[in-house]
Amino acid sequence: MLKIIIPTIMLMPLTWLSKKNMIWINTTTYSLLISLISLSLLNQPNNNSLNFSLMFFSDPLSAPLLVLTTWLLPLMLMASQHHLSKEPLIRKKLYITMLAMLQTFLIMTFTATELISFFFLFEATLVPTLIIITRWGNQTERLNAGLYFLFYTLVGSLPLLVALISIQNLTGSLNFLLIQYWNQALPDSWSNIFLWLACMMAFMVKMPMYGLHLWLPKAHVEAPIAGSMVLAAILLKLGGYGMLRITMMLNPQTNFMAYPFLMLSLWGMIMTSSICLRQTDLKSLIAYSSVSHMALVIVAVLIQTPWSYMGATALMIAHGLTSSMLFCLANSNYERTHSRTMILARGLQTLLPLMAAWWLLASLTNLALPPSINLIGELFVVMSSFSWSNITIILMGANITITALYSLYMLITTQRGKYTHHINSIKPSFTRENALMALHMTPLLLLSLNPKIILGFTY
Amino acid sequence: MNPLILTIILMTVFLGTMIVMASSHWLMIWIGFEMNLLAIIPILMKKYNPRAMEASTKYFLTQATASMLLMMAIIINLMHSGQWTITKVFNPTASIIMTLALAMKLGLTPFHFWVPEVTQGISLTSGLILLTWQKLAPMSILYQISPSINLNILLTMAVLSILVGGWGGLNQTQLRKIMAYSSIAHMGWMAAILVYNPTLTMLNMLIYIMMTLTMFMLFIHSSSTTTLSLSHTWNKAPLITTLILITLLSMGGLPPLSGFMPKWMIIQELTKNSSIILPTLMAIMALLNLYFYMRLTYSTSLTMFPSTNNMKMKWQFETKQITLLPPLIIASSLLLPLTPMLSILD
Repeated sequence: MLKIIIPTIMLMPLTWLSKKNMIWINTTTYSLLISLISLSLLNQPNNNSLNFSLMFFSDPLSAPLLVLTTWLLPLMLMASQHHLSKEPLIRKKLYITMLAMLQTFLIMTFTATELISFFFLFEATLVPTLIIITRWGNQTERLNAGLYFLFYTLVGSLPLLVALISIQNLTGSLNFLLIQYWNQALPDSWSNIFLWLACMMAFMVKMPMYGLHLWLPKAHVEAPIAGSMVLAAILLKLGGYGMLRITMMLNPQTNFMAYPFLMLSLWGMIMTSSICLRQTDLKSLIAYSSVSHMALVIVAVLIQTPWSYMGATALMIAHGLTSSMLFCLANSNYERTHSRTMILARGLQTLLPLMAAWWLLASLTNLALPPSINLIGELFVVMSSFSWSNITIILMGANITITALYSLYMLITTQRGKYTHHINSIKPSFTRENALMALHMTPLLLLSLNPKIILGFTY
Repeated sequence: MNPLILTIILMTVFLGTMIVMASSHWLMIWIGFEMNLLAIIPILMKKYNPRAMEASTKYFLTQATASMLLMMAIIINLMHSGQWTITKVFNPTASIIMTLALAMKLGLTPFHFWVPEVTQGISLTSGLILLTWQKLAPMSILYQISPSINLNILLTMAVLSILVGGWGGLNQTQLRKIMAYSSIAHMGWMAAILVYNPTLTMLNMLIYIMMTLTMFMLFIHSSSTTTLSLSHTWNKAPLITTLILITLLSMGGLPPLSGFMPKWMIIQELTKNSSIILPTLMAIMALLNLYFYMRLTYSTSLTMFPSTNNMKMKWQFETKQITLLPPLIIASSLLLPLTPMLSILD
């Protein structure tokens, strides 16, 4: 694992020592190389995990997430080139350093064996993200957004620290490799109920679950493009990954403790999808769509069946790529019109036809069109929730319909129809932007040929 | 001040604390406290204005009361045990009075009212000495009597201090008052773990002193005492703003900076001793502290103009020299990976 972590750390000296016209080239190239190295982790041979050392391991759940993380760094760098072009050189280097630091923490989080180490790095990812949102965001609301983001996550995760330490007292070790073999049922008591709550609330806030999702639209909307990409694609999946790891230790309380959260997620996914239909702000629409998809992941994780775990993992990877692509598309609009309002930049198909093709593909994968991996994820989750309780099919079906509705609403508003008279002087699409969309879409389409690598450890 | 006089006075302050920390006779400890108190009054009054006089008077009155309470506790201890050695306190009443006296010296709630007002009235360097060096002597006595302290009183004072330190700092814009409330909150954390594992109190004290030293050095460098004047530092020394950001985040207790280490260790120790609600509550109330640190960072480093310009240049009389800043910055932000070294303290 050091073969990935050390090069990522070394990206920081690389930025500071590069010449002015080489910073983007150097960092993008080397981060692409790092993602190439991480692809070898996808070869998970047997039912066990690949254990590299006492501190780092990689199993069929964390390997796809790791590959997603390393794949996204060059994409983030490519997406940020335009809005940073006018900044002084030191600010650009600071930005790239923040991204590289965030990347290091994320890689170490996804491969940590000790749960306390996972917790540290989970919290450590907050600091660079906060700095990126607050320093490089564009509107004054970003200050509030940063505070909401920081405090929601911290209030959720401090009880997790206490819970992890008390679990370490009970079982003697928090090393994940040991716990999966030592696992015993938690005795039934009030304090174990609070333990369950303390463990799960951090991840519920991070996912986010419907009642605690208030930080997400603010943070996603106010962040610059790289911030939005990493937030939507990876940081939300940290919550999902953590939940998948920690629910293993929390039986049998999950049987009855999960009900309120299941209800909230099932209801929340419909609510947030419906809100998407009424959004005027493009990034806000994509943010709420993230909440809706993550609610599906929460339902899947709390049901705890093999198929639902497969669906959760596939959905996380698929949503990561799709949502990041949608944010890139929204950003390409924002860079041209400096407004996130959808109706101000409509009818773009006439002006930017190739970008319209990317919009179409992104919207189609967002609404889970077969045979994309989004569909595989959603379908597995719908099937397992149907087997858990037949009535949920109504809610799931309604959610799929409303997801289709708002995805098409977004597509039609921005792409179809007559263009407005004030946008006929926008710049044509850059090759960089087209490359960005292609690099998002290609893994998404290729994975539909072999989805078993993202189906997680219950395959 | 005449350098010779200043040296003598500083040496007396130093000697007073050293006498407190090194003595085993209760009377010598009391003498050390008094020496410390009398010698620090001129330091607090370095700037000769009514505000500083008021601050020094308040400091003197509270610390003298505390010393008197300490003396009464020592006498009660003498009555019940017949000896002056500082091994343990033999009578619960004496222990309670001693704890209250030392809490008054440290600035724990409900005896915290003097801390913001005294810190605000004096210059930045004196405030630095007040909030770091002056905490060493009472804390060392608390460390030594820790087996006989009444747990209820100490924990109540600790939790209330964390609350007051968090809430009180929310409405402040003066940097010295912010540091004072931060000191109250940190003293609360230190007091909470004192009975369970006094070593962690010392660890917390060490890290707190380093972080507070760093913060004060950065404030002295930009000679700013209000949030407004701190927000002008980007103009003169943009690197200072980044350092302020890092140190403030570390004081707030965010991983991966070293300010997280004492909080983590304290939470771990408390949880191992089966008190679960207390550390959760303490951790969440420390977030109040983080809020006003964040507010400082927002105005200072996270909202800068796109380029340096000539507007709003701050008039500065001379460049102040900051001593030892690089090691302090490293110590206050990067020490977290060294946490396994704490095993040498066993």
